[in-house]
Amino acid sequence: MRRLRFTAILLVLWVAFGFGVNRFLESRKSALITHPNASVPTAVTPAFTLPGTVYLSQAGHLYRFSAGRFTDMGLTPNAGSWVQPALATPGRLLVVARAAEFSDVYLVDARSGAIIQKLTSNATRKPAHVELNAWSFWPHLAADGSTVIFGYDGPKTGLTYEVHLAVWSGPLTGKLESKQWTDPTQYTGGDVNPVPLAGGGVIYARYALNAQSQIVSRVATVAKPGAPPVYLTAEAADCGEPAVSPDGTQLAVICTSDTQTARMELIPLVNGVPGVPRVLVDNCLCASPAWSPDGVSLLYLAPADATGHFQLWWLNKATALTPALPKQVTTNLDFDATSAPVWAP
Amino acid sequence: MIGIALGFVLSGALGAALYFSPAIAAAFQDFGHTIRHQALASPSASAAPTLLPAVAPGNAFTVLLLGSDNDAKFSGNEVLTQSMILARVNPATKQVTMLSIPRDLYVPLSSGGTNKIDQAYLHGGVDTAIATVEHDFGVHVDHYAWIGLLGLIHLIDAVGGVDVVAGNPVLDDFYPKDLGGNSPFDIERVAVLPGPQHMSGMEALQYVRSRHDDLRSDFGRSVRQQQVLLALRAKAKLLGVADIPDIAAAMTSQFTTDMSVTQVGELLPIAGNVSLSNVKQVVLLAPYTSGQFIGAQDVLEPNWNLILPLVHKYFPPA
Repeated sequence: MRRLRFTAILLVLWVAFGFGVNRFLESRKSALITHPNASVPTAVTPAFTLPGTVYLSQAGHLYRFSAGRFTDMGLTPNAGSWVQPALATPGRLLVVARAAEFSDVYLVDARSGAIIQKLTSNATRKPAHVELNAWSFWPHLAADGSTVIFGYDGPKTGLTYEVHLAVWSGPLTGKLESKQWTDPTQYTGGDVNPVPLAGGGVIYARYALNAQSQIVSRVATVAKPGAPPVYLTAEAADCGEPAVSPDGTQLAVICTSDTQTARMELIPLVNGVPGVPRVLVDNCLCASPAWSPDGVSLLYLAPADATGHFQLWWLNKATALTPALPKQVTTNLDFDATSAPVWAP
Repeated sequence: MIGIALGFVLSGALGAALYFSPAIAAAFQDFGHTIRHQALASPSASAAPTLLPAVAPGNAFTVLLLGSDNDAKFSGNEVLTQSMILARVNPATKQVTMLSIPRDLYVPLSSGGTNKIDQAYLHGGVDTAIATVEHDFGVHVDHYAWIGLLGLIHLIDAVGGVDVVAGNPVLDDFYPKDLGGNSPFDIERVAVLPGPQHMSGMEALQYVRSRHDDLRSDFGRSVRQQQVLLALRAKAKLLGVADIPDIAAAMTSQFTTDMSVTQVGELLPIAGNVSLSNVKQVVLLAPYTSGQFIGAQDVLEPNWNLILPLVHKYFPPA
């Protein structure tokens, strides 16, 4: 009887040891394997709060970050993924709803998330012809308060492989795709990330082929529709994602020099003429800079750990000779890196 | 006492074996294929295959990475290789060279005749693809890894996605809708926006597979494929032995290689030791190749007088 009990205990210990080895190995998995999914913004408490309200996009939902917490704006998922918000008239946002094969610009209530108006109708009525769909991205309200500047690729007729985005504009209350501002380089992806300037022009990123047969991006400006681009960054720097400070004197850009790492640069603008670029954040995967309403600090998105999920970062005193060190605002979220945050007062 | 200790060893081994069971199953299914090298002397001859010795630990070695559009348009393993990247890894100097071989390169195939190099796999599987590369480029291929569309998606999703700087907007109105569509010949629109971003397996596949709206045609796609490979390398260096079962489980159906699970595991620290600045990326643009119309198809004519010195500079003959 004693021997039987001893054997039973031994068997239990052996099984427990084997199970323990199995669980130990399980516990040694890397964060990449064990934490593939990020949290929902409304379920986390950011490291610190920011003044005003910040709008961000994650997993197709638009979130409002205010008073230290996130709120899902509750935009209907039927229209697609909600991305690329921008401030419109007071209390309203321009937002892109991205479906599988087209995207549309909407005007929504910044408080309730209610759709006020659908500004484009880019879905084709002939689903068999996908090329009759259109893309609209990066809407911004121009300084006149009534014109929307945005990136647009219209429907194609005839068999063409060419799809390119160009800078377009149109009235907030009428047909949005009214005026084409830029003539993009064919088969490069085109002209992207337009930002209206207070003086009436537009700053954007223009893709073109360089002498080494690489497609690189340069930040350029055009004074009016059809005007030739004036380049603000060097070809070798390969810069894009421009963000102009509220007073129009500073330009934040993301540059990659055609590599797989990025840096955020600050370029002073004196009457639209670029000064010497200064690196604000180096050797990062930083994206989508956005200015604070007072033009003192910058928000941007970048991964903070091995998961590669993009978090919100805050760079205070961005225009000072010695900016503050970037501070990570969020943890374990997964913001859309191609949707720049919007910071409202 | 020895019996008791042995019991613990056995139970521990059983616990570990259960943990690694996906990797063990994969080892029997998809790993450990053997490359049957053909004699270099005669490109079109039916020379008897030879087995070459394994690379000594620590020595430089080459891996031919093959990717196929193995959708429902094709049956079984009768597929083309849309992506061919020859990589040389030197653990001693911690350097990696990646040569993208254009799929339209018009070359003598080791199975006979001259055609686009993507046909080599179709005409004789991985051995013919490897032999064709070895014969035409005068290099030795130590290892290979073949991956299908779903294999790439699952691999990238298994590591939680990849972090990529999309060099330019990748827009395509004629992207194949052959994964989950009604017909393998359906098309769909895709738009990958530019800039740094985190891509899921499906997004990364769209990024590396789209080719219609790129001024550089297939070369642009090659550049993007190398970017995603580098992004995968960055993830690989963060993986450990305990992650192998998950990776193996993700790649069960659409991945084959001659390397053992152990060898793949040994590659992880090598990946971690290579910095981006030590990765040389080679793409055979003009004047190394030129577009021609041969045999009712658009092909790339190789300029061997330029290609071979370049290749042998980075892939010295063994």
